[in-house]
Amino acid sequence: MGEYVWFHDVSWHSAYAIYFFVVGILAGLSFLSYGSWITPALRPLREKAAYISVVLLGVGGALLVADLSQPLRFLNTLNPMYMHFTSPLAWGALNIAAFGICSVLYIWTLFKKEEKYGKWLATLTALLALGLPIYTGYDLSVHQSRPVWNTPVMPVLFVALAVASGSAAGSLLAGSNMVAQKVLREYMLWSTAAVGVVLIGVMGTTNYGGAAEELTFAILTTGTMGLIFVGFGILGGIALPVGLLLTSTGQQHRGILMIAAALILLGSAALRYGILMAPQQMQTLF
Amino acid sequence: MSETSNVSSQAAGQSHKRRFAMVVDIRRCIGCMACQVACKAEYDTPLGVNRTWVPYKVTGKYPTVSRKFLPRLCNHCEDPPCVRNCPVGATFVVEDGGFVLQRYERCIGCRSCMAACPYNARFMLPSHRTYTPITNVVDKCTFCFHRVTQNLVPACVQTCIGRSRVFGDINDPNSEVSYLIATNPTQVLRPEQGTKPHVFYIGADRNQTEFGRDGYKPVEVMEQERAAFKLHFKL
Repeated sequence: MGEYVWFHDVSWHSAYAIYFFVVGILAGLSFLSYGSWITPALRPLREKAAYISVVLLGVGGALLVADLSQPLRFLNTLNPMYMHFTSPLAWGALNIAAFGICSVLYIWTLFKKEEKYGKWLATLTALLALGLPIYTGYDLSVHQSRPVWNTPVMPVLFVALAVASGSAAGSLLAGSNMVAQKVLREYMLWSTAAVGVVLIGVMGTTNYGGAAEELTFAILTTGTMGLIFVGFGILGGIALPVGLLLTSTGQQHRGILMIAAALILLGSAALRYGILMAPQQMQTLF
Repeated sequence: MSETSNVSSQAAGQSHKRRFAMVVDIRRCIGCMACQVACKAEYDTPLGVNRTWVPYKVTGKYPTVSRKFLPRLCNHCEDPPCVRNCPVGATFVVEDGGFVLQRYERCIGCRSCMAACPYNARFMLPSHRTYTPITNVVDKCTFCFHRVTQNLVPACVQTCIGRSRVFGDINDPNSEVSYLIATNPTQVLRPEQGTKPHVFYIGADRNQTEFGRDGYKPVEVMEQERAAFKLHFKL
């Protein structure tokens, strides 16, 4: 029947999805740089991963600040008088700042080739990097009125996405180093499969929720959003690369690994966009 | 209608403080939108955004057609998710009265509070305004804090021609809102969210207070308005 719906805008736009994507890659690259201290096969990636991680932190930070409607007030998040620790964003701001400081110190030790402090700082940087996808996932899951976001597995999903994206970026960086590629293949395969398993759980429970959940499921799986989320995200970014990675068992095919890595990156970007935008669509009509 | 609100000072400073609430009697709402206009006039709210708004739904089939209104505003929740989600404490609850207010000078515009609000009660102010420098921050209904502290009722209540909106202290057993809540079945919006809203509805249409499956169906009317909105906001 006819109704006069008040049109509301979504709260967070696509810039936030790009930020999630960038933060996921930089966290994953930090894991790899730390991993190089305990897995010799990843040694060639140590410096490259650390440098790119810091560059991406600059890009992600700039995106996050630019997305604020009062960009110059971003320092308020670090003002002890204003910090409000019931908000995941307050923890996130501290986490980003601490990660940035540790990353710069870590790069300095790499530059000076100080092995003594390098591993210690790599551990600290990787732990802080783990906090980045956890806080971004938690940032969504605290919004209990939004279907999909309100599932407690969001931080887990974002950690799995970070490992998948970071490993894929690492695979593209490793190039012809087949020793590193062999390890990265394992990382990509298992983390991408984990993303798939978590998404099956999320989508299953969403489809069996109330009307809002069912409508969000419909938004996620049909139309343009369906093409992005299911097409590029699940089929192109999970099913296809997992299939490609499984076919390259035994002997490593560099080309196949690179294609799988590119698909994982594309898919993880699409998944983050879908997860961010679709649950906001429903409530714009309420 | 009295211009002063029925607020008892007896409860102030006692174990239970004042707790302001609004009752919206849907049976008395005629959909004149005067509340929306009064609010706009009080705050110079820019085009495209509103502190209070009155959506409606046409139900039934001729000749038994009726138009159901559901005036909306910030619910000034007892447990507001917007306050919990603000990273800089820009939004807060006034202890005496329960008003959920906004510190404009502190707001960074991250829109976390907008995402957290189950009622879509918050909005972003545009970058250009004519009469005030308050721009690019999140805004919302204040229950007319500046009027209530002067013993006046909110502008929307003051102007409501059908006397659909009633405002007062629910901690005061002699207030009109206490009487209405005690003597009528009331509804709140999205009670499953556990926010303990303080806007109570009498006679609200369940099709409007809950998410329906109407979203599956294409909207039959208002297509022109929807297209104009999308064009205006470049969606």
